[in-house]
Amino acid sequence: MASVCPTKTAKKVVGIALLSAILLVFPWLGPPVYFISFLYTVFMFVCMASAWNLIGGYAGYLSFGHAAFFGTGAYAAAMLTKAVGPGTASNLLCSIPSGLVAAVIALVVGYPCLKLRGPYFAVITLCFAFVVQLSVQNLGVLGGPDGLWIKGMDLPVETGRSILYESMLLLMAITILVVERIEHSKFGAGLRAIKQDEEVAQTMAVNAPRLKMGAFALSAFFPGVAGGLHASYLTYIHPTIVFDVNMSILIVLMALFGGGASWLGPVVGAVLLSFINELLSTFVKAELARIIYGSLFIVVIIFMPNGIMEFIRKRKQTGSPH
Amino acid sequence: MRRDFVKGVLVFLLLVGFSAAFCLQSAGAQEKKPIIIGGSLPLTGEFAETAKWIKLGMEYWGQEVNKKGGLLGRPVEFKIYDDESNANKAVTFAEKAITVDKVDLLFGGYPGTAARAVMPVAEKHKYVYVSMGGHMKSFEQGYTYCFGGPPLMGEWWYEGFFLWLNSLPPEQRPKRAALYTMNNPIGASLMSSLYTWLKKLGIEIVIDEKYNLPLPDATPLVVKAKQMNCDILFSNGFFDDGVMTIRAAKALDYNPKAIVQGIGSVIPAWIKELGPDGDYVFSGTSLYNKLKYPGNDQLNAYVKEKFNLPGYPVYFGFGYCWMQVLAQGVEGAGGLDQTKIRDWLKSHEVHSIAGPMKFDAKGLPAPINFCTQIQNGKVELIWPKDQATAEPIYPKPAWKK
Amino acid sequence: MNTVLLVQSLIGGIIMGSVYALLGVGFSLTWGVMRVIHISHAAFGLIAAFVAYGCLQRWGIDPIASLVFMVPLLFCCACFVYRFLILPVTKAREVIVSSMILTFGIAIIVENIMLLIWGPDPRLITTWYTSRVFIVGPFYFQYAPVAGFVMAVAGVGVIHLFLKKTYTGKAVRAAWQQSDAAQLYGVNLTRISMITFGLAVGSAGAGGVGLALLYSFEPHAHNLWLIYLFLVVIVGGVGNVLGTAAAGVLIGIITGLSLAFLPYQWVNPLTFGLLMAVLAVRPHGLFRSEV
Repeated sequence: MASVCPTKTAKKVVGIALLSAILLVFPWLGPPVYFISFLYTVFMFVCMASAWNLIGGYAGYLSFGHAAFFGTGAYAAAMLTKAVGPGTASNLLCSIPSGLVAAVIALVVGYPCLKLRGPYFAVITLCFAFVVQLSVQNLGVLGGPDGLWIKGMDLPVETGRSILYESMLLLMAITILVVERIEHSKFGAGLRAIKQDEEVAQTMAVNAPRLKMGAFALSAFFPGVAGGLHASYLTYIHPTIVFDVNMSILIVLMALFGGGASWLGPVVGAVLLSFINELLSTFVKAELARIIYGSLFIVVIIFMPNGIMEFIRKRKQTGSPH
Repeated sequence: MRRDFVKGVLVFLLLVGFSAAFCLQSAGAQEKKPIIIGGSLPLTGEFAETAKWIKLGMEYWGQEVNKKGGLLGRPVEFKIYDDESNANKAVTFAEKAITVDKVDLLFGGYPGTAARAVMPVAEKHKYVYVSMGGHMKSFEQGYTYCFGGPPLMGEWWYEGFFLWLNSLPPEQRPKRAALYTMNNPIGASLMSSLYTWLKKLGIEIVIDEKYNLPLPDATPLVVKAKQMNCDILFSNGFFDDGVMTIRAAKALDYNPKAIVQGIGSVIPAWIKELGPDGDYVFSGTSLYNKLKYPGNDQLNAYVKEKFNLPGYPVYFGFGYCWMQVLAQGVEGAGGLDQTKIRDWLKSHEVHSIAGPMKFDAKGLPAPINFCTQIQNGKVELIWPKDQATAEPIYPKPAWKK
Repeated sequence: MNTVLLVQSLIGGIIMGSVYALLGVGFSLTWGVMRVIHISHAAFGLIAAFVAYGCLQRWGIDPIASLVFMVPLLFCCACFVYRFLILPVTKAREVIVSSMILTFGIAIIVENIMLLIWGPDPRLITTWYTSRVFIVGPFYFQYAPVAGFVMAVAGVGVIHLFLKKTYTGKAVRAAWQQSDAAQLYGVNLTRISMITFGLAVGSAGAGGVGLALLYSFEPHAHNLWLIYLFLVVIVGGVGNVLGTAAAGVLIGIITGLSLAFLPYQWVNPLTFGLLMAVLAVRPHGLFRSEV
C-alpha cells in the first residue's frame, strides 16, 4: 500500500470523486423513488458492515449483536425528536446524539464483554442484543409492544427520501473514511496485532483493552446514527423491526463475504449481497430465490474461503510477474 | 488496490445499469392491458404460513374477476414480492411496486407490524391501501388512504364473545379470569377490550401476565391458573404458544368453564394438528366462512375442492375480501385514480363477504365481530344470534382422557 | 411459598434444557473437533422432526422409533455434506468464519427445501401418549416431554461413552487435543472428522425429534433452536459433552425459576442476561473445554 505511485493515487482520487459525484446527484435526476430508497438501504448496510469490521474484521472480535446498536440509535432518535420537536432538521440532527447513545452503551457492555474471546464474545453479544430487544419491548415508556410512530419530515415523498439518501450517503462516506484511516494508522495496526495474538500484542506495548473498547464504541456509533436516520425513514419502529437478529447476522456475513481484512471488503460484500438479494426477490419465485441465495454463500466460500477481496488480491499477486 | 477499486466501481455500475434496465422493461410492460396489483407478502420466513393463505385468497379473487371479464374491462394481474417476513423489506417493496412497477393498485400486507410500517408509505404516495392494518393505533395516525376492509382489530376481537357472555344469566358466567397475553402489538391491542368488558361483567382478573415469544413452557401458566381457581382462561397467543397451553391444560386436567384462544386458533392447522383437544375453544374474528353474505358459499366450495378444507381459512377470506373492497372502489370511481377511489370508498357502502361496510374518517367500518367456537373439529359461529350456526357448548366439558 | 408451582416449573425447565442439550452435543463436538460452527445443525434436526411427523401420520410409526432409520440416514447425509462442502473449507485461514458462512448457506437451502416440500404450516406431533400424565404426589409428569428427557439423557450418555470407551471415540478426542501427534500415530484426520460430523448430525436428528415432542414446529423453527443451541454449547464449554448437558439443565433451571417467580415478560430477558453474567464471570463457559 505504501508504494503506490502518485499517478495511481491521482487516478484513484478521480475515480472516487466521479463515483461520489454520480451518487450525489442521482436522486435529483428524478429516478423512481424506489431506487433512492434501495440505494439508501445499500448505503445503510455498507455503513454498518464497515463499522462492524473495525471490531469484527480488524480485531477479530465477531460481534453478533450489532442490531442492538442500530435499534438503540433508532429508539434514541425517536425519543429525542419527540422531546426536541419534530422537523426535517431536528430529525436528521437527532441521529448524531443517538449514535453517541449507542457508543456509550457499547462502552458499558464492552467493558465486561470484551474480556471474552472468540466464540464466547460472539455469543455474549448475541445475548446482549436479545436483552435489549426484549427490554424495549417490555418498557411502556418506549412504546412497549406497540412500537413508536415518528412524526416529522413533512415533505413530498421524493424530497424526503432524497434528503435521507444524501444523509445516509454522507454517513457512509464518513464511516468508510474513518475506517480506512484507522486501517492505516497505529490504531489499526494495534487491532490487527490483537487479532493475531492478543498476549503477544500486550507485551509489545499495545494497550489491548483500551484499543478494543475504542474500536467497539466506534463500531457502535455509526450503526447508531444509521438507526437514527432509519427511524425517520420508516416513521414506525418496533423492536422486532430494528433489533432484528437477522440484521446482526447479515452485517457479519456482508463483511466476511467481502473479506474482513481491508476496508474495501465490507463495502464490496454489502453492495454485492444487497444487489443480489434484491434481484433474486424480484425475478425468482420466493423459496427458489432463497435457495439460490443460500447456494451463493456456499459457492463463494468454497472458492474464496477468505472473502472476495482476499481472493482478488491473491489472484493478482500470483498473476503479476513480481 | 487500484484495480480492485476500479473493478468494484465497474461491478457497482453494472448492477445499477442492470436494475435500471429491468426498471425500464417493467415500465414498458405497463402499457399493456392488465391492471397490475402489487405489493409484498412474507412468503418465506416466520409469517409464511399466514401469507400463503392471503396470497391464495387474492389469487382466487383475481381468477374470478378475470373469468367475468376483468376489472373495468381489463384483466387483473398480481405482482407479489417476498419480503422474507422483514418489515424493512416490506417498505422498500411497497415503494418499488408504486414507483418502479407503477402498479395500478396496492394490496394489503401482513403481519400487523409490517402493515404499520407500510401504511405511511401508501399514504405518502397517495395509494389506497386496503388491508388488515395494525390495530386501532395504526388507524389513529391520521392516514386517509388506508382502509381496514375488514381490519384485524385486536380491540374488537373479543367483542362478539363478550356480547354472548353478557347474554348469559349472571350466575352462569365465570367469576375469575386468567389472562395470558403475548407481548406484541396484537396482544397489546387486545387488552383494552378485555379490561372494560371483564369489569362490566363483574369477572375478577386474578392473573394478568404477558409473555415474550417463544414461550419456553406453558405448564407453569396452567398450574397457576388452576391453583387460583380461574374458571375462564384467556390465552391470547399465536399457534405455537396456544397449542402448548391447551396441551398443558389437558395434561394437568385443568377444566375452566371456557377457554378463549385469540389468534392461534383461527388457522386451519389448529384443528388439523390438535384434533379433538382443540375443541370448545372460543375465538373472535372479523370474517367467517359461514356468514350468510353472498359469496361465502362459492369460496367454501372452491376451498373444499382445492384444499379439502370444510370452510375457507380466515386469512384466505381476508385476502379475497380486501381485493373485493378495493375493486368496488375502483368500479365506483370508474377509474384508477387513487384519490377518487378513496373518496368513493369513504362515501359509499361496500358489500363484501364480510357483510356491508361503510368506512369512517379513519378508514374503518363499524366494529364487526363474530364469536366462534370449535366444535367437533369445525369452527362454528355462535354470535351474533342471527348468523349463528350452532349453540355454544358451555361450560366446556371435561378433557377426554 | 408455592412449592407445587416452583417444582412444576423446574420440571418443565429442566426437560426443555436437556432436550436442547441433546441437540447441542453434536454442535459442540463439530465445533470442538473440527473448528466448524455448524449453523445448519438445527436445520438437520428439523428435517428429522418433519420426517418423524410424516412417518407417524402415514404409517403410525412412533417418532422415537423412527430414529432407528433417521439417525443412520442423517449420518450418511452428513458424510456426504462433509466430503463435498465442509472439507474444502477446513483448509481456509479462518475455519470458524468460513464454515459459519458456508453452513449459513446450507441452513437457508435446507429451510427453503423444507418449505417447498412440507409447506409453511406448523406441525404438532400427536401420539397415543400425548397429554397423558403420571402423577407423583402433587406433581404432574407428561409422558411426551418425559420421553424427550429420557431420550436426551440416553443420547448424551451414549455419545459420552462413545468418546471415552471406543477406539474411534478416543481417536476423535486425540484428534481434537493434539491433531499433529494423532496423525503421526496413524489417525486419519479426515475420516475421524467425517465420522464426528456424521455422528453430530445424527444426534441432531434425535434432538430435533425430542424438541418436536415438546413444541410445534415449522420450516422456520430451526433459527430459534439455533439460538438456544449456541447458549447451551457456549455456557457448557465448547467440545465438552457433559458440560453441554449441565448447561442445558442450568438454562432449564433458570427458566423454570424465573417462570415461577417473575412476571413472565421478564423471563427471556433475564435468561439471556444471566447467561451474559455467567460468561462475564467465566469467560470460557462453566466447564473447561475438553472432549
